[in-house]
Amino acid sequence: MNTYYAANLLVYAGVDIIACLALNLQFGVSGIVNFSFIVFQAAGAYAAAVLSMPPHTASGYEFQLYVGGFQLPFPLPWIGGALAGGLLSIPVGLVVLRKLRSDYQAIALLVTSIIANTVITNARPFLNGAAGLALVPQPLQDQIDPGTDWYQYFYIGLTAVCVVLVWFVASRIVNSPFGRSLRAMRDHELAASALGKNPVALKMTIFIVGGVIAGLSGAILVGFIMLWAPSVWLFPETIILFAAVIVGGRGNNMGAVLGALLVPVGFEEVTRLLPSEFNMLGFAITPPVGLIPALQWVAIGLLIIGFLWFRPEGVRPEPRHVFDGAPVVPDAPEVELVRTA
Amino acid sequence: MSLFAAAFGFGLVSMSVIALAAVGFTMQFGITNMINLAYGEVMISSAYVAYYINRAGISIWIGMLAGAAFGAVFSFLLNRIVYAPFQRKGTSLLGMVIVSLAVSLMIANLLLPIVSYNSVSYHQSSGGLLRVGGIILTANQIVIIGVAVVVMLGIHGLLTYTRLGKAMRATAANPTLARNCGIPTKRVVDAVWLITGGLCGLAGVVAALNSDSFAIASGAGFLITALAAAVLGGAGQPYGAMIGAVIIGMVTELSAASFSPEYKDVVAFGILVLVMVLRPQGLLAKRGALAAAG
Repeated sequence: MNTYYAANLLVYAGVDIIACLALNLQFGVSGIVNFSFIVFQAAGAYAAAVLSMPPHTASGYEFQLYVGGFQLPFPLPWIGGALAGGLLSIPVGLVVLRKLRSDYQAIALLVTSIIANTVITNARPFLNGAAGLALVPQPLQDQIDPGTDWYQYFYIGLTAVCVVLVWFVASRIVNSPFGRSLRAMRDHELAASALGKNPVALKMTIFIVGGVIAGLSGAILVGFIMLWAPSVWLFPETIILFAAVIVGGRGNNMGAVLGALLVPVGFEEVTRLLPSEFNMLGFAITPPVGLIPALQWVAIGLLIIGFLWFRPEGVRPEPRHVFDGAPVVPDAPEVELVRTA
Repeated sequence: MSLFAAAFGFGLVSMSVIALAAVGFTMQFGITNMINLAYGEVMISSAYVAYYINRAGISIWIGMLAGAAFGAVFSFLLNRIVYAPFQRKGTSLLGMVIVSLAVSLMIANLLLPIVSYNSVSYHQSSGGLLRVGGIILTANQIVIIGVAVVVMLGIHGLLTYTRLGKAMRATAANPTLARNCGIPTKRVVDAVWLITGGLCGLAGVVAALNSDSFAIASGAGFLITALAAAVLGGAGQPYGAMIGAVIIGMVTELSAASFSPEYKDVVAFGILVLVMVLRPQGLLAKRGALAAAG
């Protein structure tokens, strides 16, 4: 196992963990079905890219067309990426989260994701259209040679620092009074507003926080893979993250981390290990190109449906928050509620 | 000027296609409370069924009927096997949206190895041209408009004059009350999935016929236009969806004529955003999107 492979695996794992923690804050803790999550990651990646790249007229970059090109030194592009994710969340949140019913929010966000991709693909002068941005400079590549093992360790370290930071923020939010309000809103919006909680403000806040973290995850990823194009942020990418959060356990940060390791990372690794040729009864059978990735998506769909059916709470269910001094109810009988619709 | 007259003609065809898709979509939502995000993928699957029948040398109009039948059976099974069990289990509306998106992903990727990424088109001459003023329509396009008009009148007749249609409206208004009044709501829901599935399949073939070529990736675009028309008219309202289709069809074609055809979906999306900001309940519905999720 060489360093580059390890770095690839670990950086992807870190990015997925960060993304899943953010999605868990929005979907697991607050009940916002953010089907356009990947758009915010993409916003962060594009922002980080154009902040760190030279202008498109610079030599070696003439084949691309994009706005910006500020050549900012290292931490700034990542901060800019996070800000871009947060800034984009504001208009989207204002349109989607204020008046609409929650299932409408979900479809509005899904459509937003598809359309954002169409627009960026077709509007070439903005972010180089379908071809996307390439040759994105890596953080501190002038100080440390990116070709060395050292640089790989350095990048793993940077990612790890961000994972710890995001983990810290996410667990503070979940365990704070604010987190309690979010859960109250998710479980019973009407009751929460009757107690004086403003659901729109709560949703907007967590939507922007999630957008910032998503933007950061995009910035980390683009600094590592050095390119970003519409084909890497198609809407099904969001579904993978949903699968991860559902499998790991909605509302549980530990579950989000576990889900990130099991679903996006796990699937990538398992498919990589599959042979490109099967030996069946003495005949070599080569699966058609595209079959394995297609089946991978089918498996993701099955995973979501299977978990929602058999274990909707996920591998690591959300802990029940019971407070000291709460009245102890000894074995309260399960009351079967009659559904009316 | 002739450009706009031509665009108006395209608008007529486009609104017919969208109406077929949107009415089915909105009825699924109105009567069974299911936002079926797999709708676009069922459309594209039906279009491919018609494609393989057409490729065997059979007329596309037979293929269209086969596509509609396939869409009906596929949607019916989808409901029986996946959606209905989840609904019986008491899964929330949001949960159902996630389930249907997962289903959509699975259909697209099960279809992909069979049909591959390549664009295909039907073998069908576009027929003679008809000119009225500056509007030029091919025989196929006139048939598409005719099919849409007949189907819309049929839906109107079904909902207004038949026992089944009245039972559907009762089920949409209040399923429990409908059941208590002796309406076999389960059978009604089955009928709804067959009929809307048929519309979905028909719409898929017609949409594929209307575009020069289609590919597996067309499903998302189909879904967006149907969604936009349904939401514009007020989700769950068949007549609203028809009005929505007229507006979206015309506006997208006229905008394609005035600036760029690549942004057709974006224009549909723009209308969708405007509706969601200004009148989330849609043009016709009284409650619609504003009601609390159950």
